[in-house]
Amino acid sequence: MEIRSEQNNGRLSLFPEGDMTIYHAAELMPVLLDALKQSDRIELDLSKVCELDTSGVQLLMLMKREAVAAGKSLKLSGHSAAVLEVFELLGLGGWFGDPQLLPAGVLGLGGSAI
Amino acid sequence: MAKTILIVDDSASIRQVVGLTLKSAGYEVIDAVDGKDALTKLDGRKINLVISDVNMPNMDGISFVKEMKTKPAYKFTPVIMLTTEGSEAKKRDGQAAGAKAWVVKPFQPAQMLDAVSKLILP
Amino acid sequence: MSLDLSDALQTFFEEARGLLEDMESSLLSLEAEPDDAEVINAVFRAAHTIKGSAGLFGLNDIVAFTHKAENVLDRVRNGDVALNEGLIGLLLACRDHIAGLLDFAVDERTMDAGARSQGMALAAQLDLCLDDKKAGADADADSASARLPTTTEAQLQSAGGGPLTEDTWHISVRFGLDVLRGGMDPLSFLRYLGRLGEIVHLTTLADALPTAAAMEPEACYLGFEIRLQGDTSKAQIENVFEFVRDDCDLHILPPGSKLADFLGLIGALPEDNTRLGELLVACGALTAHELEETLAVQECEVGRETLVQPLGEILIQRQMVQPELVDAALSKQKDARSRQAQEAKFIRVHADKLDSLINLVGELVISGSGVGLMAKRNKDVALLESVSGMARLVEKIRDGAMHLRMVEIGETFNRFRRVVRDVSKEIGKDIELIIEGENTELDKTVVEKIGDPLTHLMRNAMDHGIESAELRASRGKPVKGTLKLNAFHAAGGIVIEVSDDGGGLNRERILAKAREKGLIADNGADMPDGEVWKLIFEAGFSTAEQVSNLSGRGVGMDVVRSNIEALRGTVDIESHAGVGSTFRIRLPLTLAIINGFLMSVGDGHFVVPLDMVQECMELDPARNPQRDYLNLRGEVLPLLRLKDHYGIKERLRRKEQQGLNGRAARRQNVVVVNSAGRKAGLVVDELKGQFQAVIKPLGSIFTKVRGIAGSTILGSGEVALVLEVPALLSEAAQERVAPVAQV
Repeated sequence: MEIRSEQNNGRLSLFPEGDMTIYHAAELMPVLLDALKQSDRIELDLSKVCELDTSGVQLLMLMKREAVAAGKSLKLSGHSAAVLEVFELLGLGGWFGDPQLLPAGVLGLGGSAI
Repeated sequence: MAKTILIVDDSASIRQVVGLTLKSAGYEVIDAVDGKDALTKLDGRKINLVISDVNMPNMDGISFVKEMKTKPAYKFTPVIMLTTEGSEAKKRDGQAAGAKAWVVKPFQPAQMLDAVSKLILP
Repeated sequence: MSLDLSDALQTFFEEARGLLEDMESSLLSLEAEPDDAEVINAVFRAAHTIKGSAGLFGLNDIVAFTHKAENVLDRVRNGDVALNEGLIGLLLACRDHIAGLLDFAVDERTMDAGARSQGMALAAQLDLCLDDKKAGADADADSASARLPTTTEAQLQSAGGGPLTEDTWHISVRFGLDVLRGGMDPLSFLRYLGRLGEIVHLTTLADALPTAAAMEPEACYLGFEIRLQGDTSKAQIENVFEFVRDDCDLHILPPGSKLADFLGLIGALPEDNTRLGELLVACGALTAHELEETLAVQECEVGRETLVQPLGEILIQRQMVQPELVDAALSKQKDARSRQAQEAKFIRVHADKLDSLINLVGELVISGSGVGLMAKRNKDVALLESVSGMARLVEKIRDGAMHLRMVEIGETFNRFRRVVRDVSKEIGKDIELIIEGENTELDKTVVEKIGDPLTHLMRNAMDHGIESAELRASRGKPVKGTLKLNAFHAAGGIVIEVSDDGGGLNRERILAKAREKGLIADNGADMPDGEVWKLIFEAGFSTAEQVSNLSGRGVGMDVVRSNIEALRGTVDIESHAGVGSTFRIRLPLTLAIINGFLMSVGDGHFVVPLDMVQECMELDPARNPQRDYLNLRGEVLPLLRLKDHYGIKERLRRKEQQGLNGRAARRQNVVVVNSAGRKAGLVVDELKGQFQAVIKPLGSIFTKVRGIAGSTILGSGEVALVLEVPALLSEAAQERVAPVAQV
């Protein structure tokens, strides 16, 4: 698991690479929370995420909630296939409110998160 | 990338059948004949699931799982223990060691595939 | 999904046979030391593994029966049931029964009535071993567990009264904190749930997710409300969460559940009621109107405790299991079961692969000698040197390849411990078996085929050889009879001896019987002992006055002889009245390659096993005219002139007449061969020395030819015949005797 970050016009972009799974949850959590402190506008590029499990989902949900609570913006982008599959299964697309580029055929199941 | 499963059993026929079943379902399979052998197979490669017998020579399944769980790379690897009906104590021992799933021997290939599918898909 | 399990099934059969053998030897050693925990555990493990593997292949008969034996063994292992001689006997019988069931499985037959009733009788005896109370409880458990667990079908009718117009299930699940740490990912269960039906709606609940400061990254906080549409059952849905059942809150509402059920659900879930109500509406379980109604009802009933019945029949039973300390004793079993442990060091190879390897090595040896010959012919020193280096390596490969086929005879011998035990019990004689030379190696095919003849000889020795205890006592012998199995290598073959310290063969009785059966013409008074003993191998011969159920039927000994002869072996008997008898079986190693000694007669090439060659000498025509023997340092050595024996003379003479280089004019040589203590001199033209011969079996036309074991191809491409020395020796002896008789 590696996280590259970029600062761009006040927006902090994070590029997690590899597995967002329980094996890396402990190291990932402080990095993500730290990003929230550093910037008001954060983008999380998920295009290089190979695997996402419940612990990863929880971290994303935590980050989103903390961001909203602090009045900051968190944008998830570039959802990889693995991320899309999980979001679709758990009906999380709407929960995060980010545009997702769904591959054809994945659309259909109507999940939602409240 | 196909998910990799390590099967640990001293019975060659069980290894063969389970291996065949899982491979044909799309998993990668490696095997080991006992706990000691299995530890040598944990050489840092990614293993998504371990299926282990309990009663084996050299190193039994429970000691193996305990040992495996001390390695950071396999700390959270799910383990299916092969238990016997009536051996509740063994099952509890296994769970305490970190093997949360189980399949009761004797089992049929489909049952094993079923249990594996609950934990990981190929 | 259909898998081809036939290969695996073969593995299982082999494995099970091995385990049964282990089981037998362990049980036998338990007879001497019934308290050996390691051995008891080994027996248990064998039964356990057989049951487990048999289940994989749906061999239900084996599973059901082995399960019973395993139960008893488990009790023995735990010290609940004492292991006495009777129980060992019973367990041995059970082991045999399992072996029988295995045979049925191998032949793809279902068990016949005999086996079935035998199994039932054994099972009943096994039940008796457990005390009554336990046996009763066990019988119940058996009927449930011995049956192969079939994939869940209609185990439970849905609690809500079966599928109604709608078939959408409502599932509420909250995962416990430790689920992720245990390697379980709730996502996997949800994915699997999708196989039971269509997840029409799924809501992820993050309400339990704590603040950033309090959150443990490896804990699980999520819950899910799921609408699942499909023809499934409550049991099937429960089963999805089987592995986390202790670690999650699971509520399942069947299709068509009443509002009251949902009300109960709302009461049972951790989130606050209004929020839950919204949730249920959002996921389509309730309409907004229904929700209003429900909540209203709930408010009315607040005072009454009866309502908050937590979905009694629907709630999943949660059993909190207190983890116990791991049984440290387990790790003690480490090094004990060495044989099992060694399995890791063995590779199972199909015999065909081995055969083809050995064939190839054979060809390599032949072409190797071809190269050597060329080098010699060309007198290329450098080439000769590298050829000899290569030859050494080839020789090593040859030895290695040969070794692959060799197995120790010990395993075969050990089988007889059981035979001796059973037979001695049955006939009421106390007999001890001594095994020697169990490390002697011989070809696997020979080992496989020698078992039956040995069994006959052993039984014969126990039945007829060793006397009854009273007789032994009166003869001043120890009451306990001794039977000995021995094996050793000798003269290029293997010798297996079965000896007893019984009464020896009775010459008079054998002769009387032989006369009665018309096996000999005269009264046989002049027959040498050896010839008399051989009579017992004649078909239909039996000297036992009392026909026992084992070996007194007059079949067996002739079968023994023909079996041994089929292996190109011989059997001799040495017997002394009152002291005992020894049956000595000599077998060729029948290996594909032998170290041979090459010689030629005329144009013909012959090879004899080098180990049988004792010495070579020149035949002095002056001192040894055309006589059939010579004086070897005071000993009479019968001569066998291969030229005459194989009719080579004729061709040679023709050649001489044609003025070709007549080798007959040269001096002849004698190769003294020795087998089984008998010697003969083979008269040949030329000695060509040591030679590695790859034996090719003769075609079926030549199977009747005595004295020739096979053929081999020389490096030059010529064919040489491999002589079977023991057969030649007996012919040499006869040829010597025959003329005398005519005179």
